[in-house]
Amino acid sequence: MALKFKGKVWVFGDNLDVDKEIIPFREREMGLMKDGNFGKWVMTPVDPDFPKKVKKGDIMVVGTNMGCGHGHWHANIGIKQAGISCVIAESFDRNFFKNSVNMGLPIIELEGINKVVKEGDELEVDLEAGTVKNLTNKKTLKFTPLPDFLLEIMAAGGIEPYTNKLIAEGKI
Amino acid sequence: MGKTIVEKIMAKAVGKPEVSPGEYVKMGIKDTYIQIGSDIGALNFREYERLGWDKFFDPEKVMIAPEHCGTWSRPQDNMSNRESHRITKEWALSLGVPKENILDLGRVGTCHHLPIEKGWALPGGVYLHSDTHCPTAGGVGCLGINLSASEPAFLRLGWMWFRVPKSIKFNITGKLQDGVMGRDVFEYILSQIGPAGAVYQAMEFTGPVMEDMSIDGRLSMCCLSIFTGAKTGIVNPDQKVIDWFKARTEVPFEPQYSDPDAEYVKTYNYDGSKIEPQVVVPPYRRTVKPVSQVEGTKITTAFIGSCASGRDEDLRIAARILKGKKIHPDVMFNITPGSAETMLRTDKEGILSTLLEAGCLVCAPSCSMCPGFYTPLAKNEVCIASSTTNVPGRMGEDSAQVYLGSPATVAASALAGKIVDPRKYL
Repeated sequence: MALKFKGKVWVFGDNLDVDKEIIPFREREMGLMKDGNFGKWVMTPVDPDFPKKVKKGDIMVVGTNMGCGHGHWHANIGIKQAGISCVIAESFDRNFFKNSVNMGLPIIELEGINKVVKEGDELEVDLEAGTVKNLTNKKTLKFTPLPDFLLEIMAAGGIEPYTNKLIAEGKI
Repeated sequence: MGKTIVEKIMAKAVGKPEVSPGEYVKMGIKDTYIQIGSDIGALNFREYERLGWDKFFDPEKVMIAPEHCGTWSRPQDNMSNRESHRITKEWALSLGVPKENILDLGRVGTCHHLPIEKGWALPGGVYLHSDTHCPTAGGVGCLGINLSASEPAFLRLGWMWFRVPKSIKFNITGKLQDGVMGRDVFEYILSQIGPAGAVYQAMEFTGPVMEDMSIDGRLSMCCLSIFTGAKTGIVNPDQKVIDWFKARTEVPFEPQYSDPDAEYVKTYNYDGSKIEPQVVVPPYRRTVKPVSQVEGTKITTAFIGSCASGRDEDLRIAARILKGKKIHPDVMFNITPGSAETMLRTDKEGILSTLLEAGCLVCAPSCSMCPGFYTPLAKNEVCIASSTTNVPGRMGEDSAQVYLGSPATVAASALAGKIVDPRKYL
């Protein structure tokens, strides 16, 4: 997996709670997501039609404290399943950040992103180079890329495929 | 420049002279244990099977206990919790986990009560667990960080990557009023700094109020620290913490303490004497009000328990408020001791009898009502609880409303049938 993406932007606000806003807790507890398809529930408490509207490769741009609340990983998987290629936030909740790397959902922490991006814009992002280009308004933002070993985990598709790689290479 | 307790624990765990905020490290556990809830363990087992993994990094370091569900089984799950315990137990034994590391109901409790009671989390050590609230261990000066879904990978690798957090210092001066608890201090801080006030940072609680506070109160505050977006919460250990562990484990431990010249991104000073009981108002976890602003709200249900409460001190203050009285006839009051040990100690103190005489329901140690296991909320019920969170639907029906307060506020409210200020009931 190359860590470069191009897609249309969907904007959401601050403090999105994994259970309250991202994947509705009640429906999950009721067993409505037993099929493992969390994608069709993503962001439905905020916008019931979101899973239908989102296209493969689209990019989510959100505010501060993205993915707060309990560390339920269904949110990260759900976003990935919905087709979102990358989540850019002003800041992340640590559980959400960790789960994203470990489940292979590309993420970028970039303060000020909401000042140069609005819904519907087309973005081109490169996690290794540390750039976010807004193709709509031609503005470019730079960020410090994550250390190589984290990018490796993300590129492998998450911590489990990464562990498998280490096992296959006889390293553990 | 000095280092904070969090930086010192992480440096020690990764075997470096020092680490700095923002640095990413691969960290494992040394003196402490990894505890697997057998309710979650069955999922880990399935994951291991799917991936074809057949090894733990160190089976002797793995502890197994049914810790979330108690005796309860969810109708929507494919298996009962006894079945998931059986699966986890057989799986663990097959991978070489010693028999004595596997515990069962009757000698366990809610996940984050256990490591403190059994000495699996130690001052100066690292406590890792799949559950969100493992910063609880910070109450005894142990760095608790949640592994979430990366638990199976940790079990195979023996390490996980972490970012060294910056630390924020919360200096609580003065003296808490009678009836104001550790939980109120935390909710007050949340009301001041907001739900993103400590994103990815460590909250270090210090000052005269913290020195005065029981271990139980500190555990409760650290448990809740994640609701400001914090990575963890921690309190520098003192003599009572050292004595607690000396009485429980032979394993040597090396407590760590923040240096006087350690660097903090921010320091907040609050006067603890002025903090009044705090209540979180539904539907958001972030709306905190002083109890005076919600007094009089009628309730149908009350709950003390979960990793955020249900400790000796919590049951003790409930008994102090309810002694010789009956709870309001319209209220169902579920009190779930956090562990078998707490249940036994509070029984010996006569606390359980007081609670039962007052008309409370006492459940088996577990997460109980917090995620809607025992006695889930029915439609339109209004509950006051000292558990972790109030996301709609979490404790039962979506239409039920959950207020959160300290165990003292919960007990006094159960007596009055409405939300009240516990200071008037002591």
